[in-house]
Parts: sequence; C-alpha cells; structure tokens
Amino acid sequence: MELFLSQILNGLAIGQVYALIALGFSLVFGVANIINFAQGALFMLGAFIAYSAIAWFGLPLVPAAAVSVVIVAILGLLLERIALRPLIGAPYVAPFLSTLAISTIIDQSAEIVWSPESQPFPASISSTTFFIGNAYITVTDLVIFGFGAAATVALTLFVSFTWTGRALRATAQDASAAAQLGIRTDVMRQIAFGLAGALGALSGILVALYFQSVFPQMGIPFGLKGFAAALLGGLASIPGAVVGGLLLGIGETLASAYVGDSYRDAIAFTLLLLMLLVRPNGLLGGGRLDALGGAGAAAGAMPTTSLLASSSSQQSALRAYYLPPWGFLAVGAAFALVPLVVSSTYVLQALIYGFIFALLSASTSLVSGSVGILSIGQAAFFGVGAYAVGVFARPYGLPADATLAIAIGLTALVAVVAAIPLLKLTGHTAALGTLAIGQIGFLVFLNWVSVTRGPMGILNIPHPVLELLGGLRFATTEQKYWLVLGFAAVALVIAERYVSSPIGRVWRAIREDRLAALAAGLPVRRYILLAFAVSGALAGLAGGLFAYVQQVVSPESFTVETSILVLTMAVLGGLGNLTGAALAGFALAILPEFLRGFAEWRMIVYGLLLLVALRVRPQGLLGAR
Amino acid sequence: MTGEAIVVDNVSRVFGGLKAVDGASLKLARGETVAIVGPNGAGKSTLIQLISGVDRADSGTIHVDGVRTDHLPPDRIARLGVGRSFQTSRVFPALTVWDSVLVGVQAGLIETRSGRLIDPVTESAGALLGLPFWRRRVAAQEAAAEAALKLFGDRLWPRRDQPALGLSYANRRRLEIARLLAAEPRYLLLDEPSAGMNPTETEELTHLILDLRRTHPDMGILVIEHKLSMVRRIADRVVVLNQGRVLIEDKPDHALDHPEVVEAYLGRARSGANFQDAHHG
Repeated sequence: MELFLSQILNGLAIGQVYALIALGFSLVFGVANIINFAQGALFMLGAFIAYSAIAWFGLPLVPAAAVSVVIVAILGLLLERIALRPLIGAPYVAPFLSTLAISTIIDQSAEIVWSPESQPFPASISSTTFFIGNAYITVTDLVIFGFGAAATVALTLFVSFTWTGRALRATAQDASAAAQLGIRTDVMRQIAFGLAGALGALSGILVALYFQSVFPQMGIPFGLKGFAAALLGGLASIPGAVVGGLLLGIGETLASAYVGDSYRDAIAFTLLLLMLLVRPNGLLGGGRLDALGGAGAAAGAMPTTSLLASSSSQQSALRAYYLPPWGFLAVGAAFALVPLVVSSTYVLQALIYGFIFALLSASTSLVSGSVGILSIGQAAFFGVGAYAVGVFARPYGLPADATLAIAIGLTALVAVVAAIPLLKLTGHTAALGTLAIGQIGFLVFLNWVSVTRGPMGILNIPHPVLELLGGLRFATTEQKYWLVLGFAAVALVIAERYVSSPIGRVWRAIREDRLAALAAGLPVRRYILLAFAVSGALAGLAGGLFAYVQQVVSPESFTVETSILVLTMAVLGGLGNLTGAALAGFALAILPEFLRGFAEWRMIVYGLLLLVALRVRPQGLLGAR
Repeated sequence: MTGEAIVVDNVSRVFGGLKAVDGASLKLARGETVAIVGPNGAGKSTLIQLISGVDRADSGTIHVDGVRTDHLPPDRIARLGVGRSFQTSRVFPALTVWDSVLVGVQAGLIETRSGRLIDPVTESAGALLGLPFWRRRVAAQEAAAEAALKLFGDRLWPRRDQPALGLSYANRRRLEIARLLAAEPRYLLLDEPSAGMNPTETEELTHLILDLRRTHPDMGILVIEHKLSMVRRIADRVVVLNQGRVLIEDKPDHALDHPEVVEAYLGRARSGANFQDAHHG
C-alpha cells in the first residue's frame, strides 16, 4: 500500500510533465490543425540546451532553464516559418511529413553535437525525501509537479483571459472566421508554435531533472507519450491534456513498479493503442470543447492522407510512372547478370541491401500511399520477419523455405493485429498509432530476452538452404545476391499485381474518401486489414532475407530511425507508387555504401531531401498513385 | 414489417438539444419516386444519413425489404441495395472517372448470390491470378459501369480517364449518381442532386430521373430537392418535413400547394400559393 501511494505521488510528478508536452500538441493541433511531430525534438532540445548552459557555460539551473526555454520557443517559431508556412495549400499530409523531416534533422544533429550517448544531467534538486505516513515523495517530485502545474495554470489563464488568448481560441474554432474579424491568424499560428516550443523545453528540463540524464533519442518516446496524453484527454482540450498526462504518468509508474521497469514505455504505448481502439476521441473529447480546437478537432476529424487532394485542390501533376507487374521481373533479370561482371563482394553486398530496402520501402508505400495510413512503424514488421528467421533457423534447423514462410506469415499476422486499433483513425492520428506500434515492436525485441536475446541479439544465423530446390545452399555473397534478388523481384510482382487490381483500386478509394467507400457497400475494415497483411508479408520477407544476409539479428536495426527512413523512401518515390518506392529504397540504401563518411549525415541529408521534396515535388520522383 | 420497401417508423435523432428528426415515419416502395421537401434544418439530410446507416437513430426502427437496418453499418445497408448520394457530392478525388465507377460495382464483385462476401484469400487469388471465374465477374461489373457512365451521354464517358477532382461541379454530381446506378441498387437516395446545377443541367437531370423510372421500373427513388418544379415532374408522392416532423404526405400538387407547406417554406402565406422553385441557401 505504501509502495502504491508512493508510486501514485511519483506518477503525478512525471504525469505533470507529460501534460506539458501534451499541451504543446494540443495548442498546435487546435490552431493549425496539424500534429507537430517535432514536438518531441523541441522537448529534447530544451533538455540539451539547458544541459549545455550548465555544463559548458557554468550557468546555474534557473537561468540555464530560462535561456533554454527562450531559445526553443524561438526555434518553435522558426519551425512554423520554415517547415509549415510554405506548405499552406499543399496536400494535407505534407505538413505532417514536414515536421517529421524537421524532427529527424534535429534528432540527428543532436547526436552529432552532443554524441549519441546518454549524459548525466549536471544539476539536481535536493534529494530530500518526505514521508506521508509510510509513503514517500522526493523534493524533486514536488518541484517538478509544482512547476508543471504552475505552467499549466499560467497557460490556462493566458488563453482564457488575455486578448491574445481569446484570439488564439477564436483561430482554433474557425480560422477563416477569425481572419474575417481582423485576427492575424498567421501570427496566431506562430504564437501557438512558440508556446509549444516553450512548453516543450520546460518539460524537457523537468524530465532531465526527474531521470537525471539526457540523451538525443529521448525526443520520440517522450513526444509520443505526450501525444498519448493529449489523445487520452481529447487532443484539443487543455484540462483534457492535464488529466491525460496525469493518468498516463500514474499508469506508467504503477506498471513499471509492478511489472518491471523495462516495460515502462511499452505499457505507455500499449495504453495509447488501447485508447485509440476504445475511445479515439479521448476521455474528455467529444462533447466538451473547453479550450481549443473547435468541433472538427473534438471529433478527431482529420484530413485525407491523399497526396493529391489538398485545400487548393486542382493539382495538375497527376502523371505517375510505374512498371507493370512483369516489369519487376525484367529488372530483376537484368540485375541477375551483375555478379557475372562485378566481382567485388562490397558492391554486391551494397546491392543486396538495396534490394531489401526496395522491398521494405514498397511495403511502406502500400499502406502509407495506397491505403493512406502513413506508417512510421514499418521497422517493427521488418524486425518480426528478421527475428522469425533468427529464432527458427538454427535452433530448429529449419530450411530457408520454411523460415521465410514463417517470417512472411507471422509478420502478416502481427501487422493485421497491430492494425486493428488503427481502423477508426485517419490522417495524422493513424500515423502516430503506427509510430506506437513501431516503438512497442522495438521494446519487445529489446526486452523479451528469452526469445530475442535482448540487446545481444541472435548470432550465427546459418546460410540459407532452399529445401524445395533440392537443398540448394546459398553461402557466398553472389549466391545470396541471387536469392535476395529473386525473392524481392517476385514479391514486388505480387505487390504490384495487388496495387493494380480492383483491390488496389478499393485501397485508393478508401484513402480518398472512406465514407463514400462505405456507402458504396465496401467492407472498408477488411480491405484495410488485407493491406496491412500484404504490407506485413512484404516487410516480413525483407526482414527474413535481412537476417540471412546479416547472419545476426539485433534490436538496433529496427529502431524508429529505420521506420522514418523507409517512409522517407516511400514519399520520395511517390506514395502509392511501388516502382517509385522500390527505386527510392534501392537508391537511398546503396548511396551511403558508396559515399565515405556519409553514414553519420545520412538521416540529416534525407530529412532535408524530404523537406525540399515536399515543397517542390510532393508527389515524389515518379508520381504518387 | 415485410414487403419490398424501405420503412422508416417513428425515427428520432437528437444532436445535443436539437431534435433534427423527431418521430418521422415514411415508406418508400420499390418502383415509386418520393420527394422530401422542407426548409433548411427540417431534417431531410439527417433522414438519409439514418436510412443509409451513416448516422444512428436515437429511437425508432428502419427496415429495408423486411430486414431491420437501424443498427447495421453503412456498408451492410448499401449491400442490401440502398445507394445514396451526399449533399456535397463525394467523389474519390484522385481516382479517374472510370475507376470511381468501378469502385461502385466492387461490392457486387465480391458478393455471392446468397449475399455473403467472398473471403479475402479467394478474392486475392482471383484478382492476382486472373482466374476465369473471376474474369467473368469482372467483365460483368465493367459492363455495368460502362452502361452507367453512358447514361449521361457524352458528359462522363469521354472523360473516363480524367481524375474526378478535375470535373465540373455538375459532372461530379453526375459521376456520383453514375457510381450509384452502376451498382444497380434497389433504392436510390439522392440528397439534393440538382444543387449547383444551372437550369439546363437541372432539366437534364429531371429527364435522367424520368428515364430511370422508365428503365428501372422496380427501383425506389427518394429525392431531397429544393427545386419544386422538378419535384412536381418526377415525384409520385411528396413528403414535407418541418422541424424534424412529417408535416404532410401527399401527391405533389396537393402537398406543395398546401397552405401550411407554403408557410413552412416561406414563413408566410402567399396569395396564389403556386410558388415554383424555393431556393434556400
């Protein structure tokens, strides 16, 4: 009981921090109707700038925090200016992808500036502990809770009683009506982003104080938790964000106390998915429009993910270039000749990764483009396929035909189950659901030690043997090259057949207008699940082949970075266009192999590429379909 | 509640404190054309939302050909043969005209004669391998789609490879109706089909509906329409809704010239009481 009470008190403190992150999401969602994926990155920067101010310039905690909050607020303004303002009137999905690109650029830059390692936070509050009966609470908890609560109250007073706050709310309710009344809605957007930056920084510093450490990858998990808290409360309501944050904090602290600390995040993300499944409008969503967001926001109404539909609809560039299904076989046949001329195993190895990522990128394009559910969790499916081979190949001595079949089937199944919470969602919310799936996948790979062997990974995966081809063994690089190429080509033929068939047409119809598809008598959910099954099967095959090529499977291959990378590939190739996805996946995967010193900068360059592409060619290289 | 008809019985729908539909009852038999008229906010569109399952009634029952539908999902109701258009026409913007109409016949493609859906594995096999049984089904559906597009003369058929988002307002409405007709529905629910159409286009639409009545004598048609001159020509019966209730249900001339109706529509009685088109917003 004492432990229980202590955990609740402890949970309230961290929950208050989640509430602050959630408020950043809510403000921006209310005013600009987008989910700012970079909120987590701003949060991380807040922590690191405060860290640097203390560790490098010797500032005391409070001035360091103030400096950090101001700088990040300005960065929030810049984010709106650089990543979003140019995209007004662009396809609805572009701003979200744009904040995703910015987030990647910030996260990766932070790894270069501050190193990818975790650093101890150089300031702390007294570690005095109070006892209430037998339950305890630390001064740190109290300070964090106090600051968080004060910031929340200040924000509530600001939006409720100041002129600017009213203008913000008016913009959130109806931007065009607010503009008619003379409110500078563009300034309101900037204010919302600036405030979101300030809240992000403040929460980052409080988290650094709470956990006494900072690391560049902290943005995405905490950003996602903040989003979960915002969604729990109804996405567009200030009291909702606070309630959601506190509930999440308490739930997660209790879970980590009773289930185990390594599952802390997995539990938070599972809660998010359950929430999406049961009450996508949040606990306080629906009827109550207390603060921000208006009716559309309360209903969680989200624009279509079509890359062609936009507020300034008449996009003329509808031309898409793509191969017919047999075209993939033809290209595959041409590539099959390469080992006859090129003997460098280095080059062949690079090409093998190119094929695997072509497959993975196509699998992402299928759900993200054709069905319009942006997937930021594809790495989880990739990983399931890889671990299936890792687990079944040596211990059970199964041949590659069997292990790959298991990889394909199991991943398709996992993808279908994972997609169930996403069925009611559209637009940005669905995308964050897939991000949660990706995170859960990674945490399972990392923590389910009895099966995955945790961070160590599974070593010594044997060379693949195809029993159906009379026990044919693929041991050399050339042999594996042909194996991967053959499987990738055939899988792409099947995927392209799907996309070109009436089934693919239904997928696109669901993306364009889900309600109209329902009214046409189509079992929409079934078709979405089928898409996830096909996409999962492709990703599982890619993972299985990857395991055989690497001969090692370990969690770091399946991080959110991989998911973002393949989504970037899919967008650059042209969402829904498998030829484009395969081409972009192939090209972006082999590029770093041939550019020395590029690896570190790779994600930054791709992030910039995505940012530029969204401005000049949102339909991608070969055109979205 | 049997018989071939859509039967709406004492249905209500409340939004917050507002009773959008308040105990409305109505019947649409196969082969008849019924028009719903009434001022804005009378609950006309809500009624179509409820019949098609896009929205749920708070009370009352709805049957389609004897099957109770008021808690079925919209796709199930559509597969019972209820095709509906939307007030702001919903086309699939990035799909071509041809693809849009094919989406309309897809449900027929995957439904067996007994009304069951073909399972996804069989559907995938049929679609991917191009099996003969599947090809025959596809060919039949494509023929239906082509026929539906050609109902609109040269309005849609020559534009079949254009994306729907490039179509004019009137053509989008036509495309939506073509998509519905391609599925060969038993009941057609049209929500203000002539909205945004000029007099020539409205005349064309009137003729189309009159033609449909001739070529599809078994189809029940429910039309929400503000253009009363059109209503007089196409409808067998007129249901006048006001504040969510059925005010009057009668033959067009009787219903539309009824003093209460005139008052509900225009807010005051008018001498002569023979007004033509009422344009509300």
